[in-house]
Amino acid sequence: MNIQDNYLKNKKNIFFSENKDIQIHREKLINIFENDRFDKKNNESLRNINLKNFIDFKYKYLIPEETAVINNNQENSYSIVSVNGQCSSFKDDKIEITKIQDEDYDDFSKNNTIENNDHFVNLNSLFLNSGFKIVIKKNNDIKIKISNIITDDNLTIFQKNNYICEEGSSLNLIEEYENKNNSTSNILKVIKLEKNSQLNHFLIQDNSPDHNLIITTHSSCKKDSAYTQKVYNFSEGYVRNFHYSELIEANSEADLQGIFFLKNHNISNNKTFVRHLAEDCKSNQVYKGILNDRSKATYFSNTYVDQKAQKTEGYQLSKGILLSDNASYFSKPELKIYADDVKCSHGSTIGPIDENAIFYLRSRGMSKIAATKILISSFINEELSSIDNEQMAEIIQKKLVRYLSKVK
Amino acid sequence: MFLEIKDLSVKIENKNILKSLNLNINKGEVHAIMGPNGSGKSTLANVLAGKEDYEILNGRINFKDNDLFDLNIEERAQEGMFLAFQYPVEIPGVNITPFLHSAINSKRKRMNEEEIDNLSFAKLLKSKASDLGINIDMLKRSVNTGFSGGEKKRYEILQMSILNPDLAILDETDSGLDIDALKIVTDGVNKLKTKDNSFLIITHYQKLLDYIKPDYVHVMVNGSIVKSGGSEIAAEIEKDGFQKFQ
Repeated sequence: MNIQDNYLKNKKNIFFSENKDIQIHREKLINIFENDRFDKKNNESLRNINLKNFIDFKYKYLIPEETAVINNNQENSYSIVSVNGQCSSFKDDKIEITKIQDEDYDDFSKNNTIENNDHFVNLNSLFLNSGFKIVIKKNNDIKIKISNIITDDNLTIFQKNNYICEEGSSLNLIEEYENKNNSTSNILKVIKLEKNSQLNHFLIQDNSPDHNLIITTHSSCKKDSAYTQKVYNFSEGYVRNFHYSELIEANSEADLQGIFFLKNHNISNNKTFVRHLAEDCKSNQVYKGILNDRSKATYFSNTYVDQKAQKTEGYQLSKGILLSDNASYFSKPELKIYADDVKCSHGSTIGPIDENAIFYLRSRGMSKIAATKILISSFINEELSSIDNEQMAEIIQKKLVRYLSKVK
Repeated sequence: MFLEIKDLSVKIENKNILKSLNLNINKGEVHAIMGPNGSGKSTLANVLAGKEDYEILNGRINFKDNDLFDLNIEERAQEGMFLAFQYPVEIPGVNITPFLHSAINSKRKRMNEEEIDNLSFAKLLKSKASDLGINIDMLKRSVNTGFSGGEKKRYEILQMSILNPDLAILDETDSGLDIDALKIVTDGVNKLKTKDNSFLIITHYQKLLDYIKPDYVHVMVNGSIVKSGGSEIAAEIEKDGFQKFQ
């Protein structure tokens, strides 16, 4: 079934189908698909994937409403179980959670600076069937943990989330994706940081081989705000991490980091893109990957510095270890600089594990396998030791041990 | 015989490096190998330690009644062989203390000895480091990372004193050391010497041999040992260079 047929068949169940403006926008998106015909050659968003899995998606509309659980056991700390992309409404004097509204969709689609040819973002807008919005109210310091649960096989979730950190607020957000269903989650998160706010965003991805996760975030930072994102991808299924940040007002910061651990035939596509649109802003984009067996990864990083964005500092780094001759990692860092007073750099190093280091460790009595494991751990040591949340550090450590146990 | 190298020929990337090399070392002896650049000294050290880049064309090596070629790199270390590297490898993110703790326990395990616990190991490490003038703070750092040339060599000797090998191979341990560091390093080596262990010292210069007295000195040229004798050979080389041996 082609995209248009699928859309028409399910239209009545898709969010905001009654909204005329949104309908017009969606028709435009269908035209993009019709004209582009998924030209894999020239489209970063389509690299390394089997399109059939995503075009002939199993669109089974079974999303139960309002089944999420929200706990607020500790002061300023919330635990949420989001079911099939949905979350119950909740409100207190610090946070507010609501179902996604027409205006949230509209707000994003009108201001969308994500390239139009990102087909997965467009599919998300076209087939939207779940989502919620969280607002952190002014000057509050909040911790939230969201467990994202998919309850059924053969389900395709098109989820949109809006996270808004109001002025002076601070949010520590941990999101877990650990699903074992044969299903696909296509999630777009639009994140807004108002003046002087801060968001530390951790994404832990650990899905089974049958679960596909396509996750896109679009964050925008106003004056003196800072967005930090750390992605830990241990999934055995396909994962796409595309993360865009815009520094729209002075003295704001974006730090986009990720580590992925691949094995078997697994594929991970990654992209970070920071647009510096104001003065005195800083950005950092660092992705590291460990690839075993026949796994494949891509990482595109991009820093755009507008001519207004003087005194920009923007750094990019990509590193990869290939544990097998059959693994591959393609990395492409880019800088586009239109201002003259900037400090920017990019670098990329990918290769097999350092044989001299292995020899050195073995010459002290360590087995080859133990030496390999210790070198893998050391490769990501900086990222692991910088996790200041004890509970999270423990979770990541356990997953790392599990990954290492399969390294031969 | 503790170490017996018989008729050893080795090549790397189609280049013959060692050519019918013979060398015997008994328990408790200190041997020095001197030779010009490119004579194959470091290749010999690497082949003994088990580096896999080389192709063994001919010959055999016995170490403590084992055919050395039957042992892989870590088994050789666990059997008591130790190579102090000419260029110790920097390994960011691998902390010195747990690495050395794991190394000593892998050796003890092979020897069917009880593993050393954290506390006893910390005490041992601290005491050995203090003997070598190594600052305790250095033990919190990553292996060789950000170390000066002298610190790296001192750290090699610290590892040697912890692992207490039966045969220690020192590959140009004197290179890059100032006179004070050389004295500390050689003192460390001399403290380890017993009648039960042996040393193979590879160097260009006699200076090192002023501090560590060898029982035998061998001259290595073009992949073979061309002359063997006592300390007088080192003095001869110091005076006339390697020219006359080539």
